[in-house]
Amino acid sequence: MLFAIDFFVRRLAQGVVILVGVALLIFTLLRVVPGDPVRLMLGPMVSPSVAEETAKELGLRDPIIVQFGRYMSQVLRGDFGRSFVRSAQGGSTGGSRGESTFDASNRAPVIELIATTVPYSLLLAGLAFLISLIIAVPIGVWAGLNAGKWPDRAALYLSSILVSLPNVWLGLVFIFLLSVKTGWLPAIGYQGWTYAILPALVLAVELVPVIIRSLSVSVSANLLEPYVSVGQIRGLTRSRMIAAHVLRNSTIPLLNVLGIQAVGLLLGGLFVVEYLFNYPGMGLLMINAVFQRDFPIIQAIAIFSCAALVGVNILVDFASTTIDRRLQY
Amino acid sequence: MSTKATSILEVSDLSVDLALAGGARRSVLRNINLSVYENEVLGIIGESGSGKTVLSRTLVNWTSPPLAVTGGRIAYLGQNLFDLPPDQMQKLRGRKIAYIGSDPGSALDPTIPVGQQIIEKLRTVEPGISTADAKARTLRVLDAVRIPSPAQRFYEFPFQFSGGMMQRILIVDALVTNPALLVADNITQPLDVTVAAQILRLLRDLQRDFNTAIIFVSSALGIVNEIADNVLVLADGRVVESQPTRDLIDKPQHKYTQDLIESLPRIWDADDITPQQEESKEGSRDVILSVREVKRSYQTKDREKLFGHRSVQAVRGVSFDVFKGDNLGIVGESGCGKSTLSRLLSRLEAPDSGQILFKGQDISRLGRKQLLDLRKKFQLLLQDPFNAIPPHLTVGRTISEPLYIHGGLSKKEMWERVRTTMNEVGLRPELADKLPVGLSAGQRQRVNIARAMVLEPELLILDETLSALDQVEQGKLLDLFERLQTRHGITYVYISHDLSMVRRVCNRVAVMYLGRIAELAGNQATFFDPGHPYTRALLSAVPAIEHKPYETETYLLEGEPPDPIDIPPGCSFRTRCPFAFERCATDDPILLRRGAHDYAACHLVDAGSAAPRALPPVKVKRS
Amino acid sequence: MSEHAVIESGARVSTQPRSLGVSILYQAMRTTEFKVGAVIFIGLILLSVAAPSLLGLSPTKFNVALKFTPPWPVDGWVWPHFFGTDQLGRDLFVRSLIGLRNALMIGIASVIGMFVLGSAIGMLAGYVGGWTSLILMRITDAQMSIPIIILAITILGVSRPTPLTVILVFILAGWPGYARVARSVAMSERRKEYVRAAKILGASDLRILLIHIAPNILPPIAFVAVLDVARMMIFEAILGFIGIGIQPPTPTFGTIIADGTKYLLNAWWITTIPGLLLALALCSINFMGGALERSRNRVLQGVA
Repeated sequence: MLFAIDFFVRRLAQGVVILVGVALLIFTLLRVVPGDPVRLMLGPMVSPSVAEETAKELGLRDPIIVQFGRYMSQVLRGDFGRSFVRSAQGGSTGGSRGESTFDASNRAPVIELIATTVPYSLLLAGLAFLISLIIAVPIGVWAGLNAGKWPDRAALYLSSILVSLPNVWLGLVFIFLLSVKTGWLPAIGYQGWTYAILPALVLAVELVPVIIRSLSVSVSANLLEPYVSVGQIRGLTRSRMIAAHVLRNSTIPLLNVLGIQAVGLLLGGLFVVEYLFNYPGMGLLMINAVFQRDFPIIQAIAIFSCAALVGVNILVDFASTTIDRRLQY
Repeated sequence: MSTKATSILEVSDLSVDLALAGGARRSVLRNINLSVYENEVLGIIGESGSGKTVLSRTLVNWTSPPLAVTGGRIAYLGQNLFDLPPDQMQKLRGRKIAYIGSDPGSALDPTIPVGQQIIEKLRTVEPGISTADAKARTLRVLDAVRIPSPAQRFYEFPFQFSGGMMQRILIVDALVTNPALLVADNITQPLDVTVAAQILRLLRDLQRDFNTAIIFVSSALGIVNEIADNVLVLADGRVVESQPTRDLIDKPQHKYTQDLIESLPRIWDADDITPQQEESKEGSRDVILSVREVKRSYQTKDREKLFGHRSVQAVRGVSFDVFKGDNLGIVGESGCGKSTLSRLLSRLEAPDSGQILFKGQDISRLGRKQLLDLRKKFQLLLQDPFNAIPPHLTVGRTISEPLYIHGGLSKKEMWERVRTTMNEVGLRPELADKLPVGLSAGQRQRVNIARAMVLEPELLILDETLSALDQVEQGKLLDLFERLQTRHGITYVYISHDLSMVRRVCNRVAVMYLGRIAELAGNQATFFDPGHPYTRALLSAVPAIEHKPYETETYLLEGEPPDPIDIPPGCSFRTRCPFAFERCATDDPILLRRGAHDYAACHLVDAGSAAPRALPPVKVKRS
Repeated sequence: MSEHAVIESGARVSTQPRSLGVSILYQAMRTTEFKVGAVIFIGLILLSVAAPSLLGLSPTKFNVALKFTPPWPVDGWVWPHFFGTDQLGRDLFVRSLIGLRNALMIGIASVIGMFVLGSAIGMLAGYVGGWTSLILMRITDAQMSIPIIILAITILGVSRPTPLTVILVFILAGWPGYARVARSVAMSERRKEYVRAAKILGASDLRILLIHIAPNILPPIAFVAVLDVARMMIFEAILGFIGIGIQPPTPTFGTIIADGTKYLLNAWWITTIPGLLLALALCSINFMGGALERSRNRVLQGVA
């Protein structure tokens, strides 16, 4: 018990430090790199003085450290700021409207914007996870148990091929073949959960090879451990050794992979896939925010995804130490 | 053994082949015949390569490709094991025929508590037994093998057990089903001497209590002598001789056995080594290395407390002098601190306190440049021949590395030196351009030696350098060391756990226990008149075929040495010492002089009549 | 040979002493997947060099008369446009090959950068240990918490992307992975006896790093570099697709696919065929990388 407390206290503290560091990095990058958000917000025809006015109002001309400090204190209170361009009613401003219609006080709170999109992304990620596990786990285990023989080689070929399919291209091919040509599955936008299937498939294609590779390597390595053959001499049956010991010990690297690589892949893939399928999740929000130089949204989503990754990291490490007491995290 | 005793295992004409790459076959075992009777302990000895591991595995019907049985039968209680269908064989295995190997650490799943794994096995081989009954039985047997706090250790994981304790657990696992036959393959090899002695004694007692026949396989006749009723000698895949143990040792019939017994290093019956260094007066010889009250401890994370650290006291105040031309042996078991000491002596680490004087200069306080210069004069040779030389450099480059580091020689001169040194240690000059991948262990150690010798050092510290080599190689290298010593006047410090080697080679011996020197004496005194009970215990535990002057009954230790983290006050050996008295609990003894140059850190030296039990006189049988 | 070695190895005899890197490579080259991958890869490179001039095609020449011709073997294809033409009549085959060349250059350049930078930092941290190592671990943890996409989007989405910035972003995103691996290898090598022996001989730390540790780090992680070339090529395509990669008119897979999306219904080949070529190239690279990984595992297990 004491060990658990020590572990979580230590890791959470480190996690917070990491998050602050990441936030600072993104924050600074956005403001250092050329490209003025105010221009985009108000349109190209606005006068420079009004642009400066608005920028000062939004606090964009203060030194970066000051801005960051202000931002952090807001975040601690739960306020992630307001979108630069989206208004509370849902439409986004910017571009063609002039300064008279820009209403700085009625912009949508970032939290709300994100909250509406997160459930969709979760559905997509969850579905992708499920599909990839259903496909990859049996293949990976089978390949690991037959290391060196044809199931293993086949799994290797399969993994290599899947890894070589660029997700954007695959998405388009799927859209073309499975939706446009044949009409089996819906593709663009969202009007029901079936719209998540195609994007989830694309994401799953990215995940499956990673899982297969990790499982087959760890299962075959565990099979070679001395205690497996010794166990059979002691009287245990081979199938019991495999089920109760080899597979169990193979889950640690799998957890590692699932937690860290898979979540990382999913997070990264979400953005692109949602953009491609126009799926109203967090990824689409982020990409649009990038095009519109909507700093608060970019920052917030970046922080959230990092937090998710750090959190998963901590959970995975804790689970690993519980299963294998030798590990020390 | 009565003539009507039941035969448990009868092996007739057993042959096993090995399939080589390319279709050829090599014979590993040929026409083996042996019998094991109820309640008998049969020892099987053989050198490395004789086929004994293959034999021990075949006896439990554990052969897998590329090994294959090509003939013969193994009859268990009359039933040929090879005729049994696999599921019947499975029933026998683990239940009636048990096997324990030589690697205790990797025999069980490291992620599941040991008790659970024993119960798992029990419930598999005896279906119908309830978990509660299985647990109760396991605890009983845990108690029988004398594991302290069995109820608590039941829930611990394999990595929490030391080698000796883990071997006991595996013995529990084997005996919990009351098997008729137990095959023990080299089970004491990875263990310390005193721990191995305990295991052997334990096995003898258990064998009587559980009425189990044991086949004990080993490469050391001395170990087999301790436990076996009859001995079988295996050479090159064949049974060469088979006799009751004492008869075999006294009157070996076959030439192989005779040669084997002849070549075993003697401890008690050996001629004394030339005592030239022992007798000369102190002060007339130069001290080349002087260690004064050196201490070193390490901090490790304490998993119990939230943010605490625990202190591992590896070396707790060691002092000794090494005279020029000496061969000093430092012996001890795991945890005694000799590996830390070797790191301190070679200045890989600095001591926390104390001094190490090499020819008067304190090397623990030197700066980089001066240390570099000094390194030319003393060197350290390590144990592991496979990892001590870099795998990616050629032999010649490895040997010349020190010359590059210390500079000062032209390329031509460097290679001259390398060639001379290679010649001196017995390496063929063509090896200079080869990678070390194909070399044998003995050759690799020679490369190691050459690399150290190329700087022409005055002091060589050998940290278990010969432990990984077989008897023959050890002998050759020891001769080499002698030659180098005569020619160059080198002083040696041998750090080792092999008492027979130390007896043969070292004129002075230091015995370490828990970070301190327990005894520091000349060769003769150490082996025949030791003043410290631990030394006596150590000597009594060394397996030998000769008659030992120290009986195990008087001196055998119980339990394991205390953790270097929680050292009890007073004498650290007191908790296991058969001769401890009140003073030992309060005063920590220092090295007290006993003879001309002999010291022992024990209160018995000057306690006189205050001690309830004095050390018994040593019965030396000299022929 | 000891008995256990006999039993376990089944008499697999190693004859020629070879250095670690060379034996990994050698083992890999004997597997089928490596050979297949190598053949395809070399074939593609030769194609990209020779084909344009052989067939007299250019990636940017418009030929409005020939726009929207389908690929072979669909009805209506025109020689020598095997892959068809796009909305401006440009030949897709050559565009894809040029795109492949650009993608390879970016992929290889970024991987070299992240390999060198990451390994150097990781090796140093692993060898020195202590605070340096700890801080480095936290930095790499932090950076690995940022999906590469976010980093790329943030930097490139807000400024004008050039090939150099794309490569720099990739290096920035990828070095932690190598640093971690290099660090753990350095940590385990540091404990080996021959490093201890070198120290006792008086070797300086720098010397040990360069002569002993570095040669042992690089071969085992070389396969990661090969696989990462493929990964970076995919990323480059993704970035191009979103519009924050290399800008037109330089043909990259991303822009080609992005352009073609508009015509998916009528001229599906504009967007799908180039992707196929990319997938093929990546397959070959991944085969080779996969074979290297397997052989590395086998060599290390056999030797260790």
